[in-house]
Amino acid sequence: MRPGVLLIIARKELREALRDRRTLFMMIALPILLYPLLILGMSRLQEGQQAAQTARNSRVALWGGLTLEVEAAFKRNGRVELLPWRSAPDAVRAGLEMGQLQPPPTPPLELSANDAERKPPKLPDTVWARAAQQALLKRDIDAVLILWPGFEEKIRRGEAGVASILYDSVRPESGKARDRMTDVLRQYRVDLIRQREKNRGLIEGFATGVELQSQNVATEQRRSGMLIGMLLPYMLILFSAMSGFYAAIDMTAGEKERGTMQTLLCAPLLPLEIISGKFLAVWVISLIATLVNIVSLALTFARVKLIPGLTVSVPPEAYLIAFCLVLPVSILVNSVFLAVGAFARDFKDGQNFLTPILMGLLAPLMVTTMPGIELNGYLAFAPIVNIALAMKSVFLSEWKADLIFLALVSSLAYAMLALALAARVFEQNNLLLGGKQSVASIFDFSRRPGAKPTEGISVLAFSLALVLAFYASLALEGKPLPVMLLVTEIGFFLLPGLALAWSKGFDWRSTFSLRPLGVAGLAGCILIGVSAWTVGGGLLIRVLPPPESLVKALEKLLLLGEREAPLWQLWIFIALLPAVCEEMLFRGLILSGFRSMGKWPAIIAAGLLFGLAHASIYRLLPTLFLGIVFGWVVWRTGSVLAGMVCHMLNNGLMATLAHSREVIREWGLLGSPYLPWSYIAAGSLLLAAGLWLVSRQRHQSSGVTA
Amino acid sequence: MTPILEAVGLSRRFGEVHAAEDVSLKVHAGEVVGLLGPNGAGKTTILRMIAGVLEPDAGDVLLSGIHVHERPIEAKPRIGFHSGDTQLYQRLTAREALEYFGRLYGMEEARLRRRIDQLIEELEMASFATRPCSTYSAGQKQRANIARAFLHEPELLILDEPTAALDVVSGQFIVEAIRKQKAKGVAVLFSTHIMGEAEYLCDRIALFHQGRLVDEGTLAELVERSGCDNLTDAFLKRIGVARVEAA
Repeated sequence: MRPGVLLIIARKELREALRDRRTLFMMIALPILLYPLLILGMSRLQEGQQAAQTARNSRVALWGGLTLEVEAAFKRNGRVELLPWRSAPDAVRAGLEMGQLQPPPTPPLELSANDAERKPPKLPDTVWARAAQQALLKRDIDAVLILWPGFEEKIRRGEAGVASILYDSVRPESGKARDRMTDVLRQYRVDLIRQREKNRGLIEGFATGVELQSQNVATEQRRSGMLIGMLLPYMLILFSAMSGFYAAIDMTAGEKERGTMQTLLCAPLLPLEIISGKFLAVWVISLIATLVNIVSLALTFARVKLIPGLTVSVPPEAYLIAFCLVLPVSILVNSVFLAVGAFARDFKDGQNFLTPILMGLLAPLMVTTMPGIELNGYLAFAPIVNIALAMKSVFLSEWKADLIFLALVSSLAYAMLALALAARVFEQNNLLLGGKQSVASIFDFSRRPGAKPTEGISVLAFSLALVLAFYASLALEGKPLPVMLLVTEIGFFLLPGLALAWSKGFDWRSTFSLRPLGVAGLAGCILIGVSAWTVGGGLLIRVLPPPESLVKALEKLLLLGEREAPLWQLWIFIALLPAVCEEMLFRGLILSGFRSMGKWPAIIAAGLLFGLAHASIYRLLPTLFLGIVFGWVVWRTGSVLAGMVCHMLNNGLMATLAHSREVIREWGLLGSPYLPWSYIAAGSLLLAAGLWLVSRQRHQSSGVTA
Repeated sequence: MTPILEAVGLSRRFGEVHAAEDVSLKVHAGEVVGLLGPNGAGKTTILRMIAGVLEPDAGDVLLSGIHVHERPIEAKPRIGFHSGDTQLYQRLTAREALEYFGRLYGMEEARLRRRIDQLIEELEMASFATRPCSTYSAGQKQRANIARAFLHEPELLILDEPTAALDVVSGQFIVEAIRKQKAKGVAVLFSTHIMGEAEYLCDRIALFHQGRLVDEGTLAELVERSGCDNLTDAFLKRIGVARVEAA
């Protein structure tokens, strides 16, 4: 692929898109206008309504006899206008005055916690309840207050008088009236209890028993973070997708409709260059829109009170992290848009094809709006949901680096798969020329003997291995570690690579670099194998020290569980097994697939995927370093055995050290978080000697040593 | 003389339909070969396979000895392709579109600018070259498209009904532009419905019917072999359709 050509295509697509009013509107105008108009407008409307409600006195129908004390309490409050017998039917008035109507039984104490299923209390089927319902529906009054017969006598006797408030929860002014009456009557009750305690010579608080105080400890930043964490991922991902939506249709179905796709296919371009150029343009548009959305949202949130009394205060870096988190989702969504858009015959067709995908985004995004759902090891691999939850955790300041890293790595794997799919679709010229082609033909895995692995195959192999291995590890949870390692390494690293190579008809020898290793090469690999950890684990780990929990988990893995396994078992399961299986995948199939990119880009790309496959940000640098070293060794010797020797010795030595605490003590490493510099220096010398010996190995002709 | 284009045994099926069956063609430098056939004869499919945009089920296309489908990046810069139904990028000007394609074809910037100026003058595009393509008339669009096909000075021009949907004046302008390319030694493969154009432009004519090459030769050879007086009758006779005479 030629980056220059890719940029020419992307620049042209961007120029065209930026002259399209639809794209400009979705990308810039909508976010700038929408949030202030929608959120500020809604907020102002809400504030206005609240102000109007606050300013207006509640009109309450009073059914029953009022005591002087209660009347005085309402007068002191001044916000409730009591309208005696308003809207009361004659039968109800007579029943209450004559004492024929009785209050409903007191419901059991209503508990707030929703531990058990709670049914809302039903309105009793009585003449007074129906009458109050009718009266409230007419909207002449806001609520009905019934003071049941005997209210005054009961209070005088020291009993509990019964008052009922009837209101319509659908009408905000009715709810307001209920709140005001409740406040008045609660205050009246407190005063009454104090008076009764005093009259009977009881100490204050005797009747109350327990004063309950609850205090919200969430800071304003946390409360606003919760709110933004629920709203922002949803809006950000959706709007980012919506801005890519039109551009993707225009660059695929639109270009087909205009007949310009054929012109492009006539040019000396690789399908991958065309799709990459178009993707880059759509991605840039989507990212500009995301940026505009974030800025507009941040400014709007800073000025608006989403909840009365709560000022949104989110640190700017949270918005920056949110933007970074959108990147892989944006790759994933836009790649799918381009791939699916290519099947559409015209713009309208494209809209029909892509709208369900856009709608499909809503379901995973809704997850963020549900309280209590947080990013965990399982959800970190759920596409879209993982990033949305990661964003939420950032705004709540509860993010965990390893989980965010997992979410990013898995999203990147999904994104690469989607991009590979789009590239595959763009290889179908007949489809791009407006012909019909089945979806199944895109996934054509027919065997073509002599074919060579490509970058797409490398990405596919990595993504499959990563996602399968993760879900398999969940399925194998609770099984002994040797079983987990055996199944994961063979079933999800070795076999998928072999199956992929067989299904495509790749040459085994060149694809997996199956060649013998010379003496000098072997000697070099032994030196590298025993020394590389001093740089990887000793030096690079200082850049980003792992937390104690990860160190313990790794120790447990190296020892095959809590109970220490015999050393020979460690060498089989921790050293030999990963060395064979992972080297066949990463330095075999994946490195071969990248070979057309050139030596160092291929080695670094394969090393990076190797590092990412270890699924921990703290292990990324050391494993990336090892991946690059092993990659260079295999490239130089032309033999995957070289990588296996290095890998096995590296892992075996780690396991032996973890197993032999005596050795660690003797070496003076016990209790020290880092490897001493003297060890790093000695290890580096050994490593350099090993690399020099490998470089002396006669260059072998192979698929990767081109 | 070695041909610029040599297509051998090209076949392509779309489901059950044989769009092209064992088609072989040669075009030499400075030669115009016309592809003549009714709708659905497979002309467009054959031209697309030769241009390298459609993979044949069988057969090879060699351009100056380069295999078009195996080495497309080397072969395609030698081809200029234009189809009569091709539109332009509506939000770009003709000059911008030409700059874009020139860069895709790897033209050096100074040469590209010179060539664009030359084509704008030759094809009389100065009045509209800096306006967005969405504002062009059919004739203007076709000139801009022809300019794009000529831009990188290809060895072979593939033109799929370039005068379709054009009025007589615009059509004649395009035909003359093609003649000038032929005079410069460019090999031209040209499909058309218009018998007059084929008679006027083509050194050799290939008659197609239902995806097959049914006859090929110079105008005189085709007419002579058919025993008819003109190309239209020769063509209709070859595809087995009787001419309907006006009463």
